[in-house]
Amino acid sequence: MPAIQLEHVLHRYGATVALRDLSLTVAEGEVFSLLGHNGAGKTTTVRIINGLLAPASGSVRVFGLSPLVDGAAVRRRTAVLTESPTLDDRLTARETLRAFAEMYDVAAQDVASRTDALLAEFGIAERADDRVGGFSRGMKQRLSLARALVHDPDLLFLDEPTAGLDPVATQQLHQSVRQMARGRGRTVVLCTHNLVEAQALSDRVAVLGDGALLALGTPGELARRMAPRLEVSLELDPAQLATATSVIGTLDGLTVSPERAGMLRVAGIARERIPELAARLVGAGVSLYRLEPHEPSLTDAYFALQHQGNGTGSGQ
Amino acid sequence: MNTRIIGAIVRKDLRVVRRSRALMTPLIVLPVLLMIVFPTVFTFLPRMMGGAREAFAEMFRNLPDPVKQQFGEFTEATWIHVVHTQLLAPLMLLVPFMVANVIAADGFAGERERKTLEPLLYTPATDAELFVAKLLAAWIPAVMIAFCGALVYAVIVNIVAWPVMQRVFFPNTTWVVMVLWMAPAFAALGLGGMLLVSLRVRGMQEATQLGGLFVLPVIALVVGEVRGAVLLGPWMAVAIGLLVWAIAAVLLAIGIKGFRRTTLVGKL
Repeated sequence: MPAIQLEHVLHRYGATVALRDLSLTVAEGEVFSLLGHNGAGKTTTVRIINGLLAPASGSVRVFGLSPLVDGAAVRRRTAVLTESPTLDDRLTARETLRAFAEMYDVAAQDVASRTDALLAEFGIAERADDRVGGFSRGMKQRLSLARALVHDPDLLFLDEPTAGLDPVATQQLHQSVRQMARGRGRTVVLCTHNLVEAQALSDRVAVLGDGALLALGTPGELARRMAPRLEVSLELDPAQLATATSVIGTLDGLTVSPERAGMLRVAGIARERIPELAARLVGAGVSLYRLEPHEPSLTDAYFALQHQGNGTGSGQ
Repeated sequence: MNTRIIGAIVRKDLRVVRRSRALMTPLIVLPVLLMIVFPTVFTFLPRMMGGAREAFAEMFRNLPDPVKQQFGEFTEATWIHVVHTQLLAPLMLLVPFMVANVIAADGFAGERERKTLEPLLYTPATDAELFVAKLLAAWIPAVMIAFCGALVYAVIVNIVAWPVMQRVFFPNTTWVVMVLWMAPAFAALGLGGMLLVSLRVRGMQEATQLGGLFVLPVIALVVGEVRGAVLLGPWMAVAIGLLVWAIAAVLLAIGIKGFRRTTLVGKL
């Protein structure tokens, strides 16, 4: 059974269409990213999945349950880390976790141990009894994440989870996400602008634009689909740079530029033309020491999609 | 209804209120003023202003006939009786009203303003459980403060009036009905009014300003008492309490319609 199943979901805020015919499925144990610019529909999607918003039409299922009919049962299995740390400054870290553990109906005998374990895991134990108002942005973010995990959810939504975190904390969070998904079979949905993070963590990504699904697939698939031309670094005999440049110039659609001493960078080459490039260089007597293709990234795919969306004027 | 979830929300809300100086100041000052300072000062007023005794007698003579008939000629004892059972009594109702009003403003509009409402909406609490929790978080302390304040009031009045009265004269039946029946009703009124306002405004400041308008029935009662239009007896207290309960019930019934996740999330 999929963790999330959206079919033809439509949602409007007044006259503004927030989601248009959105259909996607997220499998249990998957790390899934929702990408898109501000207002693309990521937060609306999360709210609909958790039963906070009712879609105008379409079907929503979470672990087979309807969030609008079985909202409490759905939310018992989900958790949402909102973009800004929505913590009450007047509570201490421990009080925050205990209050939410009780709200999520964690067994009474487990509340204290669960709270203590999370405080330790997220490095807040020493300040557990300090009021949250005195915490740094990073500490608040860590506490928010601990709060989201207090009931050990099966499905976790992380909205910009590393915003405000230092590199060490970011790395820890990435490890936690991997551990949750790979180690414990939890499903994680990332809503992010951080394309590098999405590429590093996600099994699949969905790119939203103006409420519509622009693309869906693994980061690699999307990159190859949306950015089919690669860049290639060539390392050659430094004395033959001019020869190599002129050979490459005879190949249609390729541009070449010096990269550093003894190296050239070739842009705009399709994957299937790489052998031809190598053959032409070797055939011209160029000593080719190394040829390194650079795979297109999710970032390349994302910008290609956005560019395509702007080009059509609809984002769809 | 999951009482554990409701209890957790109530405890969290009360803890948050207890730690806010801005909220606690009026919650302490108002009961102290109305239930300790006023009864003490008003008991001693004629004695403190000895030279003005005739002025107080004149004031007493100007009271409405039903009040005068009930208490007879002006003496220090009748003054104490009138002040505590008639003039100051309705003011006590301000306490549950204001306490419920202030806590509800923080629980509804304040929580939204601080952006702490969203995580609550993501919990498994149903809309009904959230609603009940928010109501109880404001209503219970309002009623408890009213009950405790009334007890303190009664003790203080009897102590400070002892030299004149030489007996335990307070509370009377009307006062008991007011405390046990009307005070919870006025707490519900403050709550219902604030709920209705909070669902329509974005900030706590707007909510407290508009929610304060629901204090007008209390003011009307005080003015009615002073002018003799209302002579508060036990049955009158029961009737007014019933009316206030009915108004509060209507306000809460309207409020509960707007208290849905799908509505609340639109105001985040």
